[in-house]
Amino acid sequence: MISQATSSPVPNLFLPSPFQVTGVRRETSDTITLRLRPPDGQVFSFQPGQFNMLYLFGIGEVPISISGVHPRTHDLEHTVRAVGYVTRALARLRRGDVVGVRGPFGHGWPLEEVRGRDILILAGGIGLAPLRPALQYLLAHRPDYEQIVLLCGARTPADLLYQPELERWRGRLDLQVFVTVDRGDELWRGHIGVVTTLLPLVERFLDMRRAVVLMCGPEVMLRVAVRELEDRGVPAEQIFLSLERNMKCAVGFCGHCQFGPAFICRDGPVFPLPRVRSLLEIREL
Amino acid sequence: MVSLGSRTLTPGQAWRMEKTRLQELLDALRRQGYTVIGPRIRDGAIIYDEIQRLTDLPIGWTDEQEKGYYRLKRREDETFFGFAVGPHSWKQFLHPPIFSLGQARRNGQGFEWTPSTDPPPRYAFLGVRACELHAIAILDRVFMGGPYVDPVYRARREAIFLIAVQCTVAGGTCFCASMGTGPKAPPGADLVLTELPDVFIVEIGTERGAALLAEIPCTPATEADRSVVEARLEETARSMGRQLDATDLPALLYRNLEHPRWEEVAQRCLTCGNCTMVCPTCFCFTVEDVSDLAGAQAERVRRWDSCFTTAFTYTAGRPIRQSAKARYRQWLTHKLASWWDQFGTSGCVGCGRCITWCPVGIDLTEEVHAIRQTDSALTSERR
Amino acid sequence: MSKAEILEALRQHPFTHDMDEAWKESLAEIARLQTYAPDTLLLREGRAADAFFLIVDGLVAVEMFVPDRGSLRLQTVSAGEIVGWSWALPPYRWEFDARALVETTAVVLDAAQLRARMSQDCALAAWILSRLLTVVAGRLKATRLQLLDLYAPPPERRPA
Repeated sequence: MISQATSSPVPNLFLPSPFQVTGVRRETSDTITLRLRPPDGQVFSFQPGQFNMLYLFGIGEVPISISGVHPRTHDLEHTVRAVGYVTRALARLRRGDVVGVRGPFGHGWPLEEVRGRDILILAGGIGLAPLRPALQYLLAHRPDYEQIVLLCGARTPADLLYQPELERWRGRLDLQVFVTVDRGDELWRGHIGVVTTLLPLVERFLDMRRAVVLMCGPEVMLRVAVRELEDRGVPAEQIFLSLERNMKCAVGFCGHCQFGPAFICRDGPVFPLPRVRSLLEIREL
Repeated sequence: MVSLGSRTLTPGQAWRMEKTRLQELLDALRRQGYTVIGPRIRDGAIIYDEIQRLTDLPIGWTDEQEKGYYRLKRREDETFFGFAVGPHSWKQFLHPPIFSLGQARRNGQGFEWTPSTDPPPRYAFLGVRACELHAIAILDRVFMGGPYVDPVYRARREAIFLIAVQCTVAGGTCFCASMGTGPKAPPGADLVLTELPDVFIVEIGTERGAALLAEIPCTPATEADRSVVEARLEETARSMGRQLDATDLPALLYRNLEHPRWEEVAQRCLTCGNCTMVCPTCFCFTVEDVSDLAGAQAERVRRWDSCFTTAFTYTAGRPIRQSAKARYRQWLTHKLASWWDQFGTSGCVGCGRCITWCPVGIDLTEEVHAIRQTDSALTSERR
Repeated sequence: MSKAEILEALRQHPFTHDMDEAWKESLAEIARLQTYAPDTLLLREGRAADAFFLIVDGLVAVEMFVPDRGSLRLQTVSAGEIVGWSWALPPYRWEFDARALVETTAVVLDAAQLRARMSQDCALAAWILSRLLTVVAGRLKATRLQLLDLYAPPPERRPA
């Protein structure tokens, strides 16, 4: 081949950097939270709601929301549920192992734009993971916000994520936390029912029509919750959802994550409701 | 502006070039280090590959195209470019079907990447049709027009020399006239050739084109020549094999996402993905990680993919678009509707490849027409 | 526990808060305010459905007793909601248990008297039944969503 063109190596847009696993915490029987540290003392900054592509050498890559920052070490946290080939391998990692990281990608929660407002957070299952860094941010800037209410749903009490933290949040006077499960156990004496059944309790603490709502969970839950919020008069512009789709490149080229005209990796994963409202009702989109 | 002897060549001018001098054009390109890619015959079709001699071109051949049908036929003359487009498009040279992004090796810190550094080849494309110029411009927007720029595409795109050929024959499945993408070549090519019975009329598009043409003996084209070219283009536009009413097409499709026609086409569609492979603007790809048996070395490869595969939308355990209906609908509404929201143009350039190369002969102009006829906005069935 | 207290509770409770004042007064006459200690039953499966409960404060679980599994909790009902609609339909019998999980206060309406007033006042009957239907529809919707088990691990469908 004749070649006079300038040599141009593929830069790191597609190639992950090695991060060290500094801790692994088991959350539930199939979910763990990884604590990751960037190489060479680099600082990794991100916005709550963004995600990284996590890579295991020779195995593959998956998109995982950033689920928080360790308060002392500032290590990056990712909560991973073992549901497939790569995630099962991620769930078997130990401290000292290495994970490839590419990111951060996507649009996060609009936390700065909603200063001074009441915030309602609705989390279903592992949907709590991308909302946790949002809550960490809101609590770190508590005076900038009015009432904050967290509604959290899980399958069973054993499936609740971040249990020690949930307890601490529940103990705070400046935060209302309601937790429900789809199915209780012998010891559970709390709410039982889908997370939207907690909405009537919220009215006591904030005027839902003026609150900003941040939501993440199974798409059915989001669809139902959107309708319930609309029935209660919450304007669509005040509702933000985090969505997910299959991703490969994470930068809007490979086409896999398209949801209607939106590329979830680049236009989302957090969307204001008006952008996706009609798309949610279309089946197999 | 390039001067050679008593001639001054500038973009916008038209020149007459003897047909055989095309060989000199090829030679000049190769002297400058270009690999010239052009149409040639292989496996019963006209495809794009390296050409060196004029005789590599399908001179005197034409193609018969209909839905699910492609045959080569000998012409009665020795026209150089008397055919429409074949199964290849130029995208394979700009957006490689398979490309290694890098190799990783385990080390003390975990692993280390060696990005692929093979310099991309320097191509000259000979015979780029108007629809294909539009397709390249569309891919430019996809890969270089957003918040991120694809380094793989950009490295290949930057150096391409483009010699366009304006169609004087319309194909059986062509509908560029309906899409506003031809047969007249848009700006962007370095040189634009229009073939007349004994000469090429060469319009200069860029300084680079002017510099190349300066090496070839030519005479200035006359007003009459320009008129003949115009007339040929008009005639070609009138003899398109297909038509598509593109009026308000995105809105039409968006309000008919539950139209029964999608079920109907799904009965026929094999979800084979041929359409996505031959389409000059389909760009989806996948990224794969493979490792050697010892696990010491890993490679990351990017490879063309198709939204027609069930694995394409595999998310947390299952595909979102499972039915053929959902996958066909995705492809067509992306191409004709969402593309506008994403990139500001249609994704379709009216080349007709998807119609020709569909094994069951699905014709998107027919599908759009069928939906338009029974548009939900016309019936009283409103959601 | 005065009639005034009960009336105030009816004014506050979401089920009755926008009811005609006259009806509220009428209902207050056939109601009492009752507090339930944690783990006590408000109603029991099989017994006559003789009361309509408006939960003012606390948390109530709808349960069913299953031999060798004990009392299984199906759903909970919070303050501001209502418990029980079997009092409105023959055979006026409870089909499940309802148990207070924490100390719970409720406005308890005498069902027999409520039914009598409803049969004499069609407008009242329509109002109450329409509200009840909304509650029942919401519970059924929530129950169906619970049945979907949306947080379950996804089924493996990818070929090996």
